[in-house]
Amino acid sequence: MRIVISHDTIYRYERPPSSVIQTLRLTPRNHDGQYVVSWRLHISVDCPLIAQEDAFGNLTHTFSADGPIDELVVHVEGEVETEDTHGVIRNAVERFPPSLFLRETPLTQADDAIMDFARQATRGTDTALPRMHALLGALNTEIVFDTDPTHTATTASEAFVLKRGVCQDLTHVFIAAARSLGIPARYVSGYFHRIDGVVEQEAGHAWAEAYIPDLGWVGFDPTNGISATDAHLRVAVGLDYLSAAPVRGTRMGGAGEEMSIRVRVDQAMRQMQN
Amino acid sequence: MLSRTADNLYWLARYVERAEYLARILEATQRLTALPLDTVGESNEWESAVATAGCANSFYAIYDEANEENVTDFLAFSIDNPSSIRSCFEVARTNARAVRTALTMEMWDAINGTWLELKRYGNGPTSREEFSRYLRWVQESSLRFDGSAYRTMLRNDAYWFTRLGIYLERADNTARILDVKYHMLLPAQEHVGGPLDYFQWAAILRSVSALTSYHWVYRESLKPWLVADLLILKEEMPRSLASCYENIVRYLDDIGSAYGRQGPSQRLARGIRTRLQNSRMDGIFQNGLHEFIQEFIADNNRISQTVTQQYLA
Repeated sequence: MRIVISHDTIYRYERPPSSVIQTLRLTPRNHDGQYVVSWRLHISVDCPLIAQEDAFGNLTHTFSADGPIDELVVHVEGEVETEDTHGVIRNAVERFPPSLFLRETPLTQADDAIMDFARQATRGTDTALPRMHALLGALNTEIVFDTDPTHTATTASEAFVLKRGVCQDLTHVFIAAARSLGIPARYVSGYFHRIDGVVEQEAGHAWAEAYIPDLGWVGFDPTNGISATDAHLRVAVGLDYLSAAPVRGTRMGGAGEEMSIRVRVDQAMRQMQN
Repeated sequence: MLSRTADNLYWLARYVERAEYLARILEATQRLTALPLDTVGESNEWESAVATAGCANSFYAIYDEANEENVTDFLAFSIDNPSSIRSCFEVARTNARAVRTALTMEMWDAINGTWLELKRYGNGPTSREEFSRYLRWVQESSLRFDGSAYRTMLRNDAYWFTRLGIYLERADNTARILDVKYHMLLPAQEHVGGPLDYFQWAAILRSVSALTSYHWVYRESLKPWLVADLLILKEEMPRSLASCYENIVRYLDDIGSAYGRQGPSQRLARGIRTRLQNSRMDGIFQNGLHEFIQEFIADNNRISQTVTQQYLA
């Protein structure tokens, strides 16, 4: 699938800050199921933009802009060719052994309720792959997609109590549950091309990857209850939302920040595959 | 476009590129053999020139010994060798004539002019100096052809197929140089830093016009692993494997989107480029430089075959 992305993150300030610093994880890399045909990043204010690779191998861009800044727009656009690999990620950049992704983080701590749920959901399965599929199915019905009750700092256990959340929360619960079963799991941020034809989206997407012996990393999308497909465009990975977040930053001074996001995930002119 | 036309354009470009590559090998070998014997050591550079050209079998079917006379004759002028510079230009010109209308006037002039001038050299120049001039002329002919294509061709599938031919051939060529010389690039050899190594590394870099670039990129004296890094992984270096694949993927993608259809060539090429992009030199050394290069050559051949099946046959 040829996916075309246009993604704006817009900040407006009532009282302009004197400077803004941000780290962007908004540039995808290639692996066997994904090829970046073109990609462009544009910041609406003049600033030096420094490209680096973070510890996980994600491409990051860091900028610091001096104000006063009334409005800041971070725009990315690009075209990516993806292929359905049944969720299996091959030849991606790996900087750590899988066992690192057993590490718990504050956002993905598994409490008793999640551990119980993980055990219940995977009862009767013996190996990693069926376990993760069982978990995927159970989680998809257990937690209802709802954008209202949670926010970016909601932990896995909080979301699990609410039984409601967005893709980020479902992914955190999935990761916490998988790790409690001894299976390395990580957070993936990216984009998802919706099958129902909705192009304008309110945010990017997030899902999880679990390490399956013999297969390697495999993508599981608990929000949609499916393995990652060619509709998933993978941008960054990390231990949780914080280490894979598309935009992280801070500002000096200013007040009344208002952020809005516009994401378009469309398909380029249809192509035949042979 | 007829697949036959695409095939002619593709091979036209490949053969011109190959002629240039042979001239580069011969020039590098000439330079190495001009060094005093105690600096160069025992190795037979003419033998390794034949190996780098990838025609050892056909060479030893005709000759017993790899020396200057035999090798220059075989690689540059022989009509028995289908991959000699002379044969390359002849095949290129035959291909060009078959698709005369798909070429621009400038391209045709470049290739036809080369072919006419080739006759003047007959069975080979009489002196080393003249041979050096001949090798420069071969490279300039390729440059003229490449430049006139770049400057005058309409950007459509005809252009993309010629580019594809150039970069597939170039990737193969750089990989072959690395394949024959890889043992010179392995780190932590006993006599690293000796004069022989220095001249060998410089010769490798010179053979792909990369000696100056090396100093711009690394700002260091010659180190074998950096030479390998430059020729394998650096996209900004025009003859590196990474750069060739950046272009191969791009032109295959252009062809794919113009035809509204993609297939195994696109997939394979993207896979190879991804591997090059995601690799680091220490990882390549750990898993074996030689294995890496051999695998690359095999992959590159597979792509050529796939392109042939998908578009040219």
